[in-house]
Amino acid sequence: MTRSRIYGLVGFVWFLMTIAAIVYATRLALVVAPTEATMGNVQRIFYYHVPTSMLSLLFPYVNFFASLCYLYWRSRDPLKALTADAVAIASAEVTVVYASICLLTGMLWGRAAWGIWWTWDARLTSMLLLWLLYVSYLMLRKLSATGQAHTLAAVLSVFAAIDVPIVYMSIQWWRTQHPAPVFFGGPDTGIDASMKPAFGYNVLGWAMWGIFLLLFRYALERRRQQVEQDAALQAIEASLEIAQ
Amino acid sequence: MKLSWIFGPSMEAHHLLYAYVTVWLIQGGYAAWIAWHWAHTGRALRTQNPDRRDES
Amino acid sequence: MTYAGHVVNHLRKDIRLEWRSRDSINGMLFFALLVVVVFAFAFDPTAAMSRQIAGGILWVALLFASVIALNQSWTREQRNRVLEAQRMAPSPASALFLGKALANFLFVAIVEAVLAPLFIVFYNLHALGQGWILAAVMPLGTWALVCNGTFFAALGLRTRNRELLLPLILFPISIPALLGMMQATTGILSGEFDPGPWVRLLIAYNIAFTTVCLLLFETVLSAE
Repeated sequence: MTRSRIYGLVGFVWFLMTIAAIVYATRLALVVAPTEATMGNVQRIFYYHVPTSMLSLLFPYVNFFASLCYLYWRSRDPLKALTADAVAIASAEVTVVYASICLLTGMLWGRAAWGIWWTWDARLTSMLLLWLLYVSYLMLRKLSATGQAHTLAAVLSVFAAIDVPIVYMSIQWWRTQHPAPVFFGGPDTGIDASMKPAFGYNVLGWAMWGIFLLLFRYALERRRQQVEQDAALQAIEASLEIAQ
Repeated sequence: MKLSWIFGPSMEAHHLLYAYVTVWLIQGGYAAWIAWHWAHTGRALRTQNPDRRDES
Repeated sequence: MTYAGHVVNHLRKDIRLEWRSRDSINGMLFFALLVVVVFAFAFDPTAAMSRQIAGGILWVALLFASVIALNQSWTREQRNRVLEAQRMAPSPASALFLGKALANFLFVAIVEAVLAPLFIVFYNLHALGQGWILAAVMPLGTWALVCNGTFFAALGLRTRNRELLLPLILFPISIPALLGMMQATTGILSGEFDPGPWVRLLIAYNIAFTTVCLLLFETVLSAE
């Protein structure tokens, strides 16, 4: 069996395990977990919303680390640099997907539970800014000239990573100075023990799914890169023939 | 325990349904997008494995 | 030649080029003025309300106006393939960046100097807090916008839709600084809260991002 075949098989098995975990976790969330006392059934959105939010804070670090590796390897080992770049774009896209889900499910939950779609409190605003930063990263990728896109995006990723703590702090200060109602208690207000299995399995399931997406997108990007390299190789060889 | 209450008339029920469906649509949609592009990006014949590039 | 010498040379070159046509400054000035007028129709504020919103409006107007100038500032380098010459020149790339950023800072400062009195007139402002702190907030805020703006404008040099890209990547990164400058200005004008933490935020932001810009400009300039 070739190496890529093995990877394909492992990926498929991982995918099946992930689906199983998510289905089980969803069942726990919708059916098994007890109905919350004050909010009722709409609280079950929590089991999808909070794990997704937690994970959406993780993938930006993957992107940052991959971008640093890209910048380091760019002139030293271009092939490794391409690998790092593929990880960078995969993690950026997964970040945007997870952050979008966090925002949308949060809005749906907020509207049903507290009557408002949105509030400019610290947590929501910070999440929105994270989303904006990584969407701007993807836009830079899309609009850059080829050949440059990797480096420019890596540089932007460094800026974004430095910005994230500053954003977090400044928005906390803003909301300390001008308090707004705080709605989402979040996982640190403590969950009842009977809810923990549903929560835990959802974290596991969505983490596995995130890793699956990351690897799948990485594989796609590597394929695209190799097709480009092929085309470049052909162009070079064609130009060598003409020189005779 | 039956899930039929999910299709109840209240806003809570609707939003719960919308939230879960949104998640599945976005996650599934993104995965489908990747899969579509995966199927439509031809395999690179000569650059398959960077270590073996010189074999061709 | 010393590093400072290189920076001064780049600075002088940009000022001289801008002075010949004065395109950027005129454009910025008029644009900022128009934004202020449009906002007056949007809000039609009373004196008390003016103090709450003037800070925000001022910085929004300056933000949009400076984006216009920043997009232009690198096109000078593209005519006659000057950029290639810059890459080959022995002066460090960060000196080019710093010179250009300082030049842009000067141009935006000139616009501010004209705009601020107009603001005071249009919104009947007088600061209820400590007005002298504004002398610190204005340069700090302007540098935050101009430093990152000059850097990101360089990022977009060879992209298609260059003018579109700059605001898309500049605004998200600048939001903490914008928050800082707007809150500090509002705090000073309304006198209702202490602008101190915001000024400190601006200082920290400027130090962090100026350093990053100087370190990474070489990478961007030779990004082929």
